[in-house]
Formats: sequence, C-alpha cells, structure tokens
Amino acid sequence: MIGRAPESTDEDLAARAAAGDDAAFETLVLRYQQRVFRLACRLTSETDAPDVVQETFWQVYRNVLTFRGNAQFSTWLYRIATNAGLMHRRARSRRPAESLDEFQPRFDADGRLEETPDALRVVCRVDELLDRQVLAEKAQAAIDGLPDLYREAFVLRDLEELSTAEVAQVLRVEPATVRQRVHRARLMVREYLSELAGGRP
Amino acid sequence: MSDVVCRSGVELLIDYLEGLLAPDVRAAIEAHVAGCRRCEAFIASYLETPRIVRDATRMEMPADLEASLLAALRAARGAEP
Repeated sequence: MIGRAPESTDEDLAARAAAGDDAAFETLVLRYQQRVFRLACRLTSETDAPDVVQETFWQVYRNVLTFRGNAQFSTWLYRIATNAGLMHRRARSRRPAESLDEFQPRFDADGRLEETPDALRVVCRVDELLDRQVLAEKAQAAIDGLPDLYREAFVLRDLEELSTAEVAQVLRVEPATVRQRVHRARLMVREYLSELAGGRP
Repeated sequence: MSDVVCRSGVELLIDYLEGLLAPDVRAAIEAHVAGCRRCEAFIASYLETPRIVRDATRMEMPADLEASLLAALRAARGAEP
C-alpha cells in the first residue's frame, strides 16, 4: 500500500468512541486539545484552562453516546467547552478587573464620530505601541471585561475564527444574534484598545 | 437611504461586512465612507481589532499538560463503574 490511509473523520472517531473504542476517543483528544486549551484560556484564564480542558473532554467521553452523527463533532465539542468555561467562571464568581460596558464609540449631536481620523486609527498600531507582554495581559483583560454573552460570541467568531453560522450552532442562537453580539463586542474592545493606545481622551 | 451619518454606518457595519445589506443601503454607506475620513479610519481600526486580540492571546498548551490530560482521563475512565 502506498501513502497513508486517509485520516478518520471526527464523526467516525466519535461513533467508534461511543462503541467503546478508547483509542478513538484519545485520537479526538489529541486532535482537539490545543484548540480547546486556547479557547479555555480565552474564556477563563491560563491558570484555569487545564481544569476546563479536562472537564470538557471528560464530558465528551461521558456523553459521546448522545452525540448525533448528523451534527458536526467540532460544533458539539465547542458547545461543551464553551459551557465548561462559563460554569468555571460562575463557580469562581469571577469578576473582571474592569468592565467594558461603558466602552462605546462616541458621536456628536449630528451623529458624527467625535474623534479625529488619526485618533480613531491609532488602534491599528497598538501592537507597536505596547510591550508584547503588557498587550497580552490587556487583551485578556478586554475579553474578561465583556459581558458573558458578548464574550462567547467574540471569542468563537473572532478569536477561534469560526463562521457566523458555526457560532450560531454552538450557541444555539440565530446568526443575526451572533452578528449583533460580535459587533457590540468589537466596538467595546476597539474602544478599550484605543484607550490603551492613547487615542481615547 | 441617503441620510447616512457615521452613527448609522457604524450600526450597520457588521451587516455591511458580511454582505447582508440591500444594494441601496450598501451604496449609501459606501458613498458616506468615501467622503468621511473618520469612518474610513474607524473601519480600518474595527477590522484590526480581532486580529490584535487574537495574536495577543494565542496560547500554546504545554507538553506536560498534554501528558497529564491523557493520564487524568485514563484514570477517570478506570474509576468508572
């Protein structure tokens, strides 16, 4: 036989895991652990992520019988991981250092953006203006400061780069709701970055 | 729709970017942005926002954690009745 056998699909592996094949389950863990870890870091923190990852895959193992092959495995997994992250935040009564609720673009009485073009554009250079480590902390603080519903949508859509349709399936809401939440989150985070970069008075 | 100001353009920005607006609304927004340096700058920064946060929070799972994850899951399975 020449070449490698085609890799099993996620859905095949999930079906085999449901039938008791532990090796298939572990293949899924290996395939997704990096993505789930990154998602968990963003939804909670680097410190809490290991617990969230373990809880996520344990839920996958326990519930794989309920997974229906007509859904995408990754969608199902992201839903479990997102919920695990939220449960973890609630269990910790995690309160963000700062809330982004008040961070909104500002308009004058005529509906015109208040800031000058240069001040508006300074966000584009925030990664040149700030130290890498500081920016990493502030970016995590920005995610943390979003309302829960906006955080989930923003992290899945803009940071994990799922499509709007996929995020809608993960969160079980309409695509229009996803767009609305992602948009609100982007506006808040944009203002927050603008303040960091000195563009927001 | 000819009364686009920055505020209404900002409100509709995500629908614009995802190609969901009716052609006349789309055209009205494009006409406004073409003559508005503030909106042009705002859109550039709005588009950069996800990338900046994404790049700043790209964590790698440490190798020792990969090993301990599999071990913990095996132990949990072994403890199942």
